Amino acid sequence: MPDPLPPAYTNETFPFPPHYSFPPFFTLQPNPLTRTSQLQSWSSLILSYTRHHRLSTLSVVESYNTPLFHNPSLNRRLPTSDIREILTYMSSKDGGERVEWIGKHGKDGGAGGKCWVYWRRPEEWADVLESWVERTGQKGVVLTLYEIGEGDATVGAEFHGLDPELLQKSLGVLVKKGRAQIFGAGEDQLGVKFF
Amino acid sequence: MSSSRRGVGLSAFSTTALNNAYANHGTTLRTAHLESLRTQLSVFQQLLHQFSITHAKEIRSNPTFRAEFARMCNAIGVDPLASSHTSKDSKSGGSFWSQMLGGSVNDFYFELAVRVVEVCRNYRGENGGLMGIEDVKRVVRKGRGVVGGGIEVSDDDVRRAVKSLEPLGSGFTIIDIGSTAMIRSVPKELSTDQSTVLEAVQIQGFVTVSMLQINLSWEKARAGAVIEDLVADSLLWVDLQVEDETEYWTPGFIHHSDGT
Repeated sequence: MPDPLPPAYTNETFPFPPHYSFPPFFTLQPNPLTRTSQLQSWSSLILSYTRHHRLSTLSVVESYNTPLFHNPSLNRRLPTSDIREILTYMSSKDGGERVEWIGKHGKDGGAGGKCWVYWRRPEEWADVLESWVERTGQKGVVLTLYEIGEGDATVGAEFHGLDPELLQKSLGVLVKKGRAQIFGAGEDQLGVKFF
Repeated sequence: MSSSRRGVGLSAFSTTALNNAYANHGTTLRTAHLESLRTQLSVFQQLLHQFSITHAKEIRSNPTFRAEFARMCNAIGVDPLASSHTSKDSKSGGSFWSQMLGGSVNDFYFELAVRVVEVCRNYRGENGGLMGIEDVKRVVRKGRGVVGGGIEVSDDDVRRAVKSLEPLGSGFTIIDIGSTAMIRSVPKELSTDQSTVLEAVQIQGFVTVSMLQINLSWEKARAGAVIEDLVADSLLWVDLQVEDETEYWTPGFIHHSDGT
């Protein structure tokens, strides 16, 4: 299967959507209807940006200065409070639950305001993993998590280089469904067997 | 009354005969063509195009034949809305389809109308239900992103399509703001002041209260009130990150920055 995603170390510049060059896009709109559409546009921008750069988490404080939320050519930037609002919207049902705050007080700014950004949710990763196992005939084979995430065999697969914690979450979905079993001791030595 | 009724009877009679003749003719053609064309899809598509030109007369005059033709296009993944010949024919005015199908409101325009409604609805939150024809065309041209992209339609096509919605009382109308034709998809009347501001905003993409004061010699309160109304109707976006004065932007400029 050809890899539809650019590799993590891509130097190709991210093609920003036209909204990004529209100055008021960086001010959350007072009109609720306009704001809803604006939140949706931001959400899809954030998802395609993190996907392009293969990011699985975002920190409000750290991303504040990245091109994602700061457009120097317009001299516009999204304030951290607005970044939080958008991410919180994305974590809601309306926003498609594409964000999950890490830590209880994540959204209030504690713990650095960090969150998972799911341009693929764990269950979606689980499907990708499962079809890879099926395609490569590795049912019943024991693999370490490292092999899946970083091994030579998975170079070019979409999940190659995936955040280990997210990988574990995704495998957890398969475990719940009874399609896989995780065993072993210690973070680095976890193994998984697919059924 | 009686004369018009007689006219209906007569014309119905003659069209039926004509229809039958065309239908027979059409069936013969269809079966003959389908048999050979099925084998190669790419060749088929090429031929389909030629077919549509050769049999333009039948397509124009015979609704059954036309429907079959459209169905055939759909079946093999040729978008009946896609007409790459618009640009070539732009000098002679009207699209390939409007030339071929004549001026009557037909399936093509209904289908385009459905798409225009879709597009306007999708962008309503962003632009408050006022969208430039150029923007609508741009989105229609992109297609739905799945199959059959690259749909070229002309202004004329879009205008006809919107017109075909009139009997539905959907509130879709084309209004001219300054020199820009826009499709209004929410039934709302604009006041003179609002139209004036929307026209002014086309120039630079934004206005400020003091710009309106200076250029239109309006009182500050009047300028502020009109802008506030337009923001409330989602027709203007607020930019608070300007050093001296808040700017109010038209969402129509979002997609103008394409390619810069």
